[in-house]
Parts: sequence; structure tokens; C-alpha cells
Amino acid sequence: MIDHIWTALVMLSSWKLILTIAICSVYGLFVGAVPGLTATMAAALLVPFTFFMDPLPALVAIVTMEAMAIFAGDIPAALVRIPGTPSSAAYTDDSYELTKQGKAELVLGVDVITSAIGGLMGAVVLMTSAPLLAEVALKFTSFEYFWLAALGLSATVMIASTDPLKAGLALFVGLFFSCVGLDITLGYPRFTFGSTELLNGVDFIPAMIGLFGVSEILRNMGSSHLQYPITAVKAEKIFSGVAKTLWKYKANMVRAGGIGVFIGILPGAGADIAAWIAYAASKRFSKEPELFGKGAIEPIVDAGTANNACLAGDWVPALVFGIPGDSITAIVIGVLFMKGLRPGPMIFEQQPELIYAVYISFIIANILMVPFGYLAIKVSGKLLKVPRNILMPAILMFCIVGSFAINNSFFDVGLMLAMGILGYFFENNGIPVAPIVLGMVLGPIIEQNFMVSMIKSGWDLTQFFTRPTAAILAVLTILTWVAPFLPAIMRRLRGGNAPA
Amino acid sequence: MKISDTVVGAGFVAAGALIIAGTLNYPSLDAGHPGPSLFPRLLGGLMAIFGGLVGLKGLRTGDTTEEVEWLLLHKSTGFINAMFVLVGVAAYILLVEKLGFLLTGALLLFVIMWRLNVTPVKALIVAVVFNTIVHFLFYKIMRVPLPMGILWW
Repeated sequence: MIDHIWTALVMLSSWKLILTIAICSVYGLFVGAVPGLTATMAAALLVPFTFFMDPLPALVAIVTMEAMAIFAGDIPAALVRIPGTPSSAAYTDDSYELTKQGKAELVLGVDVITSAIGGLMGAVVLMTSAPLLAEVALKFTSFEYFWLAALGLSATVMIASTDPLKAGLALFVGLFFSCVGLDITLGYPRFTFGSTELLNGVDFIPAMIGLFGVSEILRNMGSSHLQYPITAVKAEKIFSGVAKTLWKYKANMVRAGGIGVFIGILPGAGADIAAWIAYAASKRFSKEPELFGKGAIEPIVDAGTANNACLAGDWVPALVFGIPGDSITAIVIGVLFMKGLRPGPMIFEQQPELIYAVYISFIIANILMVPFGYLAIKVSGKLLKVPRNILMPAILMFCIVGSFAINNSFFDVGLMLAMGILGYFFENNGIPVAPIVLGMVLGPIIEQNFMVSMIKSGWDLTQFFTRPTAAILAVLTILTWVAPFLPAIMRRLRGGNAPA
Repeated sequence: MKISDTVVGAGFVAAGALIIAGTLNYPSLDAGHPGPSLFPRLLGGLMAIFGGLVGLKGLRTGDTTEEVEWLLLHKSTGFINAMFVLVGVAAYILLVEKLGFLLTGALLLFVIMWRLNVTPVKALIVAVVFNTIVHFLFYKIMRVPLPMGILWW
């Protein structure tokens, strides 16, 4: 193990990688701090660049960028009451209220330190749980993988969204996209409409850039003259009083870190959900729940820890099973496939240095977060004044060229545009976009493993329930669907005719 | 651009039905077991069911398309700007092979910035400089064969 850590460290200490880490830190902070640009969009736009990198710097780039972006989303939340990324939405009101009370420095100080601590907690869980789970995963067959993917899909619909019906629709659209192209049983072309470009399926990267980049640009077109008063902060003062606050809420941080990592490991649910659940837990157990939403620091500690802890958790199912924990790790899986690497337990044996590099870059990124975060807060006034009417066209250009660069094809640019329109229409009608991505990644996994299982068992469905691990996963999947209705069912069973 | 949930739901029911219809001619595996058609048919069915439920829920809650909003759409700056971007990118795809990336890219950037009220001189400078940087980054460093078109480099 020491050998692998050493190899990873040597690889990480090359000047090219140090430069990659520095550039991606700045990139992540920028994207996170500018409202309207999300970490997922940033990851999608990074992919064309990772196409020209080795696998290791590509993964390091994404880890660094996402850690910084999720923290930086807190900055506009505190200063202008707009979350920089959806992950900061849960505690935006509390942050802004405290800023109005003249405590912006304390809020930002707590934000940056809890983000770093949360991120490190996530990294520790990733390092300890991923290798153990990989051992278990080695024994998995197509039956278990089918259920794992089914569990991921179920969690996406039932846990990771406010409207399960609409999330379900988005998921089916993603799964449908995954059907396009040659099918795995007979090589029969499905839904290709005679197009040779579609024989290999809907290309994941241009689709991603369209769904998260172009649709976001279209949505931002209405607010190109967004003007908001920005509170000036004294960056030198952000760390005063932070230690005392965090010591007071040390138990909260442990709980929130646990919640964050757990939500992360759960396939399909990401940092935004982690923040909301940590916020709710914080309120439930708080001594002063009446202050929540009116400028309490306690939920900021909790949710700020949880969203960053979630990030490393998201990598656990992605690396161990090839099942994405959130939309960013869905992109990571796409990148790994592009590099000819198959995420799964074998990668832990064949390329352990890659796995260790992910661990180490999580640690480095979260330590660097403190000085880099300090600098970002120092220039926050300028960051928030970036003219959107120049920024948005510039990002559009990166979307176009990035989509083209993957296959050097204009078909892909058209695909990006179509996906952009779809994402814009969906978001405007309350249909979340993230499940589309998870559907596209999980679709082939679920179909392939189902078909393989059926063919090798001679169409015997019982095998999906008689193998012990498969049975456990099946029960978990079914529970995910039934759980929201359990209270109602229990009431009916107990009371018979409970008041409606 | 909010549309009534009833309409959205009906749209998904239709989409689900179309998906199933599209699989009717698909071959099956030996012994008549379903093959390529199984998964899409299942999906089409689920999509139609979920679409139907969304539609019903929309009907029950009286969620309607806001007519006023539709009639005012041609006055909504955000919507018109978004259309500008869409048409711009479509025009880019059609023109770039003839005119080349340097020209088409700069043109697209200029038009959108100008539409977003950047002063023409500033828009022109930013468009040309930024587009040249993108060209350098992708064409020279990452060796992406961006079309050259009528410009020689």
C-alpha cells in the first residue's frame, strides 16, 4: 500500500499536476462564486480538456474543481443572497441574514473551515470504505449489478427530488437515450433513424454540455443585467471567532459529516440533497430551532460541512461499482470510459495508484481550500461583478468547441444544442435535469446486466431474489419505493379510518 | 415558458406510445424471448404511466398554461435572447465549415454580446480576442481540427 501511495505522490508532485491543481482550484472557485454557473456545468466543460490529459490528472482536475466550487457557492449566498451553486441553497437565508447583522466575515470564515473539514471527513470515509467495498464487489455478478443500478435509479427518483413523478419522467428520458444505438443482445440498431452517428448511441459528453451548459446559458439570458448590492467584506477578519463557533457545534459537525457522506454514497443523491437533509437534522436537534432561517450560524455549520463531505462519498459507488453517486461522478464515469478504464472493483487491483491519487487529491484540495478560499473571499467583490453579458457568450463558445472536440463532429454540436433546448424546457417546467444523466449512465448497466442474467439463467426470474446479496439489494430497492408511503400505510393499518 | 402540467403529462404519454410503436418491428431472441425491444417497451410504458399521473395531478390542481405569459412571450427579453442564442448556434453549425472557425466564432460572439447590450466596439474587441484565444487553446495546443475556411490559418 505504501508503494502505491508513494507512486501516487510522485505522480502528483510533477509540475504539470501542481499547475493543473492550481488552475482547477481557481476555475472551481470562479464557477462556484458566480451565480448561475454550477459545479456540474464546470465538470462537463472540463471534459473536453481531460480528453487530452492522462487519466490521473483528469481525475485530479475534477476532484479539485468540485471541492472548490461547492465551497465557493457559499460566497454569493452570504453576500447577495443568491446561492452560487444549488448546494448552498439550504442555508442561503441564514447566511444573508447574518451578513445584514454585520457578521459576513464570521459566516464566510465558518463556510470555508466547515467546507474543508467536511471535505476531509468525506476523504477519510472514501479511503476506508472504498477498498473494503471493492473486496465485496469482486464477488458481484450480473444479478447484483442489476439491483445496484436499480437501487441507484430508485434513489434518484424517490430521495433526490421533490417531485418523484417528474424526476421519474426525466430518468426515463435518460434511459431512453441510453437505448439509442446498437442493442447489446443482437446488435440491432434502435432509434437511429438511419443516422450513422447514432449507431454508437447518444454521445454522453455533448449531451452533458448541452443539458448543463447550454440550458444554463439560455436560462441566464433573462438576467443579463443582474445588479445586486454587494456587501464589502474584510477578508483579514474572516477567521476570528470561527474556532469558538466550531467548538461549540463540534457534535453537529460530526453528525453533518456523517449525513453528507451517507447521502454521497447513496447512488443518485448529491451535495444539494445532503445540505438540505443536514439542515433539517440540525433544526430537529437544535436547542434554538426558532432562529433557523432568521440568521442562525448553527445550520450553516451543519449544511456547510455536509455538502462538502458528500463529494468524496459520491466517488465511493462511482469507483467501486461504476454507479454514479451524483451528476458530477456520472461525468467522471464517462471520462474513465473515454480513457478505456472501466470503473469497478478491478480498477483497485489494476491501477491502485489512480485510486490513491483520487484520495490524495481530495486531501490536498481540502487543505488548499483554506488559503484559496481566503483569496476568493478577498476578491469576492470583483468576482460578483463579472459582466454576465460577456461571460455567458464566452461560456457558450467553450460549449460549442468542447462538444466538437470529442469526435470532431458537427453532429455533436447539434446534439448539444438539442439537449440544451431540452434542459431549458425541462427546468422551466419543474422537471429536474440531473436524473437524465443518471439514466444515461445507468441505462446500459441495468439493461446489460438484466439481459445477461436472463440469458445465463434461461429466463429464470427467481435468481434475482434467491442469491443472498441480490436479495438484500432487492429489498433495499423495494424499500426505497415503499418508504414514503409507509407512514400512511401504518396509519391505515392501525387506525382503520384515520382523519383525512 | 411554463406549460401546464396537463399538457406536459399528455406529451409524455404520447412520447411513451411513440417509443413502444417504434419497437414493434424489432426482432426477438431465440425461442421468442424478447430482446432489443424489451427495455424500450418497458420504458415507453413507464413514461406513459408517469406522464399520465403528472397530467392527472395537473388537472386536479387546476394547473394551467398561463395564457397571458404566452401572449407576452414576444416581449420577454429573456426568451428573445434565448432564441437569439439558439438561432446563432444553428447558424454557426451551418456556416463554420465554409467561413472557418476564426470568422464564424467571432461573429457569433459579437452578435450575442451586442444583443446583450455590450457596446459594439467593446463587443468586437472581446469577440475577436477571446475567439483567438479559444482557437489557440483548442487548435494549436489540443490539436482539435477546427475548420479553417476562407482564412488561411
